Amino acid sequence: MRLFEYQAKDLFRSYGLQTPASVLAKDVPEVKRAFGELKPPIVLKSQVLAGGRGKAGGIVTVADQEQAEKEAARIFDLAIGGEKPSAILVEEAFAHDKELYLSVTLDRGERSFVAIAAAAGGIEVESVSDKVVRKVPLGGIDGAFADTVAEELALPMSQAKQFSDILVDLERLAREKECELAEINPLAINSSGSLLALDAKVIVDDNALFRHPEFAKLHPEDEFEGEASRQGFAFVRLDGDIAVVGNGAGLVLSTLDLVGDAGGRPACFLDLGGGAQQDRIEAALRLVNRLPEANRILVNIFGGITRTTEVAQGILTVISEGLAKPLYARVSGAEEVAAKEMLAGTPVKLFGTAPEAVRAVVMAA
Amino acid sequence: MLPKKGDPIIVQNITGRYGRLHTRLMLDYGTNVAAGAAPGKGGLSVEGVPVFNTVAEAVDKSGAKASAFFVPAEFAYAAAEEAILAGIKLLVVITERIPVRDELKMLELARQHSASIVGPNCPGLIVPSQRVKLGIMPVTAFAPGKAAVFSRSGTLMYEIADQLTRAGFGQSVALGIGGDPINGITAGECLDFVESMPETEAVVVVGEIGGDAEERLARHIKRAAHTKPVVAYIAGRHAPKEKKMGHAGAIIYGNFGTADSKISALRDAGVRVAMTPSEVPVLLKQATT
Repeated sequence: MRLFEYQAKDLFRSYGLQTPASVLAKDVPEVKRAFGELKPPIVLKSQVLAGGRGKAGGIVTVADQEQAEKEAARIFDLAIGGEKPSAILVEEAFAHDKELYLSVTLDRGERSFVAIAAAAGGIEVESVSDKVVRKVPLGGIDGAFADTVAEELALPMSQAKQFSDILVDLERLAREKECELAEINPLAINSSGSLLALDAKVIVDDNALFRHPEFAKLHPEDEFEGEASRQGFAFVRLDGDIAVVGNGAGLVLSTLDLVGDAGGRPACFLDLGGGAQQDRIEAALRLVNRLPEANRILVNIFGGITRTTEVAQGILTVISEGLAKPLYARVSGAEEVAAKEMLAGTPVKLFGTAPEAVRAVVMAA
Repeated sequence: MLPKKGDPIIVQNITGRYGRLHTRLMLDYGTNVAAGAAPGKGGLSVEGVPVFNTVAEAVDKSGAKASAFFVPAEFAYAAAEEAILAGIKLLVVITERIPVRDELKMLELARQHSASIVGPNCPGLIVPSQRVKLGIMPVTAFAPGKAAVFSRSGTLMYEIADQLTRAGFGQSVALGIGGDPINGITAGECLDFVESMPETEAVVVVGEIGGDAEERLARHIKRAAHTKPVVAYIAGRHAPKEKKMGHAGAIIYGNFGTADSKISALRDAGVRVAMTPSEVPVLLKQATT
């Protein structure tokens, strides 16, 4: 789960990490008020989760209240990656000469957390070739460990000390809050040599949320994503018009590819999970039936241990409730002959293979 | 490493809904489920299998070296530690949603005790010629044969095994690597293993977006100079970025973890990469004739 910048900065401050003075504003009048409380120049930062906020025009420096008001109205109306902000972070600008990069993150291939630091900040770290990468022990790091990272960056002594303290705090935050990523980019240095976290990016391990109830309610929930998560589905909303439903993440992912290759555009990814029982297929179909972007539904079930007759019964139930959208289905596996008989004479279009079902649902545009 | 017909295995959390169901299905296939473990449930019997309070007792009474692991995520680390310390050498972790730091701790402990972990978040493993499975896969999709299948995804493994079986390619082994960011046994280790397994003639690797496991596999294949042909399929060419696609590990960050990167790395290493699951048997046929 990714936190919004303001949430990540709150977390930073609770771990002793310094950030610029800021106020969170929920509407234009609040931005105006916040501007009055802070020392200009002021930066307005759109609170969306999507990356590339700066390039998209979601971050802007303003000099006076009038400009703040005008820019705030624009930012509240600006969708970035399909997402409009529900808040703007109004923050004092920090004049600085130099930017660093610092993060603690999971290195999947090395099966270890790592600290990554670079003398060039503010840019995508993947594109930085000259960076320091150190494996972080599961039990955490100490000042001496952090000092060696600071040394490699060749920072002047007073900055090196601040940097070490920041790394120790950031690692403790990442470990205690079970983050997949805790990143400061940029970590700015001003002319008097003070270090300050200008941005904060935190991704918490979803699977560890049961140990961190403090993160449970931080996000405004999309109606459909909320419903899907209550049902235990893996669900991702996409921007096409074909709802794609199946059992198993890999199978649904592969179905998205078939749809994409055939020229279709999925409206969602919905993984029922293993053992697609009748009540689960019913809940999934009800959900995508209400999804406004979807005008037809593709179901791809590989029933192994799941009996396909249960899937068919689920489909029949939802049809009897008034399923409004055309349904294309590939249902393969145990008892599939009986399942096909159950669905004969219904509006469901049934196919023997996934590619055939995909072709039909895409052509139906 | 792979279990043979008759080898005793245990099931952890055998009294849970999935533990119970899959104990029945593993027994039906022919697996010798010799004991189960479930704290506080010692003395019970599940599908005729005796249940013990601790893994140590279950191991002691059964002689098992392998465990099929159905313990809920919240308790997974403690139960894995118990199994490893009790002498389990092959821990097949079906459980999904285990916190990544618990997984790292499990792997570290397994390394110290020379134990192997399959998964987590995987369908387990099946050896059709031995009629042995430690896992949840539907056995109807599998048949004895000469193709080894290693997959990050469960249902996609079944789908592809089923198409292979229908095309006349049985499997020497099929094993789920797991859908999490961190895996126990890697595809590279699996390839090393089957290189010296005479029953295996070719390998199928099923990957997906996220991380760099396939890129690492490609580098490994180049270095190791294996003799057995490899066919791969990578799911997620049309997946959006920054979104977790069902599996905790299936996520693209920036340009890291894309299907295109994996496909080109594998092709560069001489792997035949299928664009759809149904193309896998076709490429396997080309590779083996």
